[in-house]
Amino acid sequence: MKKKKVIIVTMTIILLIVISYFGFQLVNQNQDIEDAIEQELYELKHTVEDIYAIEFLDDDRVLVFYSWSFPDYSNFGVMELEKTWRGWQFVEAVSNRMEMKNAWLKGVYVKIGDRAILRGPTWASVAKIEIITGDGREYRPEIGKAERNIWYLILDDAPFEEATFILYDNDGEVLHEEVLEFDLNWPE
Amino acid sequence: MRVSLKYKVLIILVLSVIIGVALYYYGTKARQEQATGEALKDYSYIAREYALDAIYKSKEFPVEVELYPSAYTEAILERWKAISERYPELDYPESAIEARDWIEVHKAFEDTDLLKDVIRKMYKDATIAYEGLGGSYITLLDYIFYKKYEPSNMEDIVIDLGIEPPREEE
Repeated sequence: MKKKKVIIVTMTIILLIVISYFGFQLVNQNQDIEDAIEQELYELKHTVEDIYAIEFLDDDRVLVFYSWSFPDYSNFGVMELEKTWRGWQFVEAVSNRMEMKNAWLKGVYVKIGDRAILRGPTWASVAKIEIITGDGREYRPEIGKAERNIWYLILDDAPFEEATFILYDNDGEVLHEEVLEFDLNWPE
Repeated sequence: MRVSLKYKVLIILVLSVIIGVALYYYGTKARQEQATGEALKDYSYIAREYALDAIYKSKEFPVEVELYPSAYTEAILERWKAISERYPELDYPESAIEARDWIEVHKAFEDTDLLKDVIRKMYKDATIAYEGLGGSYITLLDYIFYKKYEPSNMEDIVIDLGIEPPREEE
């Protein structure tokens, strides 16, 4: 009789664990990434955010590029989320103040997780950017559009301290050319 | 199945402990969440007002946010310092600024009566004639934090007082 009770209790516990595991899996699989991002940004308590781009680094890691601070949206953030057994979870976020004023573009270097990222705002008329570094490397950063336009580059190789940025319009005409410098020691 | 009194008491005791622990856990968690939300709201406000860069390392309890001055922060501090040098009653907390204790730094603007007094003195000391509404303490804050002059004639006032250089001729 006692043995039977032990078996029933053990089976019940195992069943609960299995149901919980599959329950979490089901919730995680169906978790909408945009809802998760909205929730994580809401928890940062920024005043009105705008999302420019969502970049999946792999199946379980995502970078979100956004700006905040109504009405000027001059604070540009990048946030990393990671998928865990509890669903998409906040890892880290970095926010940089970049005011456009009369500049064609701005840019900063940040390290988030193990990734080096260069990013900043530019004007809506800029459709394409080419970056040429002093040692001859060339990059085509992505451009995200929302309240402002932002360019961003997720680097797989070594970051650079300065590079020439060539800005093109929709017709492929050069709008502007400028050298940007990056502080690779930021925030120290 | 008959359960003896001893087991009944034991079950009630175990259940009471479980409920007690759960209530304590959720009560503590709710308080921590409230404190976390308020801290993040403060960081967000301070980062926006002082144009600071921010690294959010943890937004769970305990919140871990590092704030760093940007080039725009320096401009805000310069305007603030220039007014404070002429009107020392407006405190410029040098040590808190150096220590990057931005929450402490912002306490200098808590007393709106003091701010009203400073702006009133600025308008009184200016030698220029003006019409319409004078500045309010919001005018002063708009100037320091955003270098915003409208809708008052604050630009003329700060130029007249030597806080800002004269406008360049076009």
